[in-house]
Amino acid sequence: MLSALSAVHWLIWRDPRRRAENLLRFAEVEADGGRDLVRAAEVTRDPVLRKLFLKHALDEQRHADLFRSRGLALIRTLPRDTASGIAANWLTPGERGLDDLRVEEEGDAALLAFLHLSEASAAREFANYIAVLGADPPTRTVFENVLHDETFHMTYTRAQLDRVAPKGARRRIWMARLRRFWKAYLRLASGLAGLIGAIVLTLQYFIVLPLFAFHARRAAEKEAAGWSAVAPERNGRLDRQY
Amino acid sequence: MKILGISAHYHDSAAALVVDGLPVAAVQEERLSRRKNDAAFPLQAIEWCLEAGGIEAEDLDAVVFYERPMLKFDRILTTALRAWPQGRGAFTHAMKNSLGEKIWVRGLIQAHLGVSRKKILFTEHHQSHAAAAFLTAPTTEAAILTTDGVGEWATLTVGRGRRTPGGATAIELLREVRWPHSLGMLYSTFTAYLGFAVNEGEYKVMGLASYGAPRFAEQVRKTIRRTADGAFSLDLGYFEFHTTVARSYSQTFVDAFGPPRAAWDPIDLTTEAGQRYADIAASVQLVLEEVLIDLTAALHRETGLSDLCLGGGVALNGVANARILRESGFERLFVPPAPGDAGCALGAALYADRVHFGNPDRAFPDHPFWGPSLEAGELARIADEDGLAVETLGEAELIARTAADLAAGRILGWMDGASELGPRALGHRSILAAPHSAQTRDRLNRDIKYREEFRPFAPVVPVEQAGAYFELPPGGAGLARFMSGVFPVKPQWRSALAAVTHVDGTARLQALPREMAPRLYDLLVAYGTLTGVPVLLNTSFNLAGEPIVNRVVEGYSTFRRCGIDVLVAGSERVAKRVWTPAEAAGMEIEA
Repeated sequence: MLSALSAVHWLIWRDPRRRAENLLRFAEVEADGGRDLVRAAEVTRDPVLRKLFLKHALDEQRHADLFRSRGLALIRTLPRDTASGIAANWLTPGERGLDDLRVEEEGDAALLAFLHLSEASAAREFANYIAVLGADPPTRTVFENVLHDETFHMTYTRAQLDRVAPKGARRRIWMARLRRFWKAYLRLASGLAGLIGAIVLTLQYFIVLPLFAFHARRAAEKEAAGWSAVAPERNGRLDRQY
Repeated sequence: MKILGISAHYHDSAAALVVDGLPVAAVQEERLSRRKNDAAFPLQAIEWCLEAGGIEAEDLDAVVFYERPMLKFDRILTTALRAWPQGRGAFTHAMKNSLGEKIWVRGLIQAHLGVSRKKILFTEHHQSHAAAAFLTAPTTEAAILTTDGVGEWATLTVGRGRRTPGGATAIELLREVRWPHSLGMLYSTFTAYLGFAVNEGEYKVMGLASYGAPRFAEQVRKTIRRTADGAFSLDLGYFEFHTTVARSYSQTFVDAFGPPRAAWDPIDLTTEAGQRYADIAASVQLVLEEVLIDLTAALHRETGLSDLCLGGGVALNGVANARILRESGFERLFVPPAPGDAGCALGAALYADRVHFGNPDRAFPDHPFWGPSLEAGELARIADEDGLAVETLGEAELIARTAADLAAGRILGWMDGASELGPRALGHRSILAAPHSAQTRDRLNRDIKYREEFRPFAPVVPVEQAGAYFELPPGGAGLARFMSGVFPVKPQWRSALAAVTHVDGTARLQALPREMAPRLYDLLVAYGTLTGVPVLLNTSFNLAGEPIVNRVVEGYSTFRRCGIDVLVAGSERVAKRVWTPAEAAGMEIEA
């Protein structure tokens, strides 16, 4: 019997267009994550980490290619005008890359801890997707391939964290966990603030602005198309913002 | 006098420092932040410019922002009001977008730099473009045309500039076409319709156009009508960019041109859909050229001047530029290396220096290399840690070895001196390769640049030899010094230059004067001695989705992740493998 979460995943992944769109979205995230890892490789002064980060970046790029190829293959099997339902992207986050982490501002240990958690989280997500993708073996195979790499990434990040911070590895991981939690809160809070802002501005638009809109449209109707002369005093006056 | 110019908040943020009338540093934020097209307030670029100039922020006499934020906000708000009630989405987006940071630029600059309010100045967006085009060009009097998507209200301006060496400077913008009627938005709408990213994919539309026939030109002409006074206006029924942020074209547009291409849909030119995309690209390209030629020809008749300076993002369209040079009546056409918004940081600072403060004119160095320089020994350090052998070579040996690498068909990462300002690699942060075979082009697309097959690569050639391989009109070599024009490859050289000859027999060449990039020039000469053809393929040193490399470590990481065979940074050379003497002697072409 499917667990509640599996049932949600099954529901999300059963629609081929949404499946394809999710795969293409994952491709973007993986490519972005790869670029962040390249940056990490460029920033670190540790040659061992540089090699591993570059290899990791290449893996992420390969994952992006796998997701993109499979997403495109799925899309080509669909009629052009099929629309998916509600996207519900937040229910299938896949991998979050480095979660807007400023790579330049992080030390090696903090970055490794963050990467370790990120990879572990992605591995769990991908395992969930694999469990509900029995009806689509090619997509399932893509996730299995990616999951195999994620396992390696989890392992190397933990091993390297133990190397660069032998005494504080567990503390680093807890700190990274708290930061992920904080970032999740910020995402939620900014999403909520954005929603409230949109509602208030929409109300303003329809309640306060119609009169101004009327005048703006009247003014627009009077504007002649074509050239407008530039007033000579506009040439050279730099002290104004308007 | 020390003046800092800043452009930010739309795309390609940048900073530029002008000291006593000449630039000492200019760089795009993306080159430092490593986020492509970074539009954030360019703090890293500012810090680097001040450091390169050896000054603190309090030493600045003025900080000039490249546009008037309140005037821009006025346009955004008015546009949303005019679109009522359809403009709800645009309104909420614009309010959230602008009220957060974008209209508080004076406060932002004060907060970050600690300079007094009186020192903070604002040019108009198109004044910045005009200054970037005119004050960096080797001319003393010229007509000026600037055109892009939009600044504050203007989308296109014409005017004239006059400088007296050591004396006064005047830049006078005479008239403008105002939002929403915009050549840049017309082209960007087609860019979006064809499934490419706006502000980045316009190159792709231009490249794709060569594969098509302009069979949709009449439909495109219906979207942009000519006005009785010689300007133009868009038929807004075809567009939605002025009412919504979700889509730039309307259903009427789709009815006229067919279903849009999805971003992930590959362009297969053997299919009907792929050919339709190419034909639409060819059609909008043709109409853009027609409008620009009419405008510039009229400007030539009006001013009677022989020189034209072209600025704004549309000036990156090398095909249109070449036609303007041939057909407008102007004898010389100047396009700066960064005609888009990044170059506005420099333009704003120069405008303030010459026009606002009235400082005497100074001859502008004719090169684009105002960014960070290489750190000597950096490549040796990193590659050594990775177990790769690095050679530090004398100048003559480095040039000879590099020419031999290229002649043997190897692909080369080339870093030299300070980085370029602007979107093009003009010889200091380049990937170089032999230009002769289509296989090289395909290998670059497949293993290195990871980009669409229809996009061409550019050649670089010593300016004195350009006429031997390319059909350059009078003034063509000058336009080509910053890779700003697309010209035909001479028919007899097209097969020998297959990697850089586009499907229509043209190339966006760089005609390189030695004084601009002497080492690359010497390399071209050495390559020519080896192969008989002093031409190289020159493409920007980056991978898809990444900014052009800046520091050595970025060049090195790019080298490690793709199919580049050899990396040269300054006088240091590293190769992925050691070639046998027989391989080393191998030549890719039979001259």
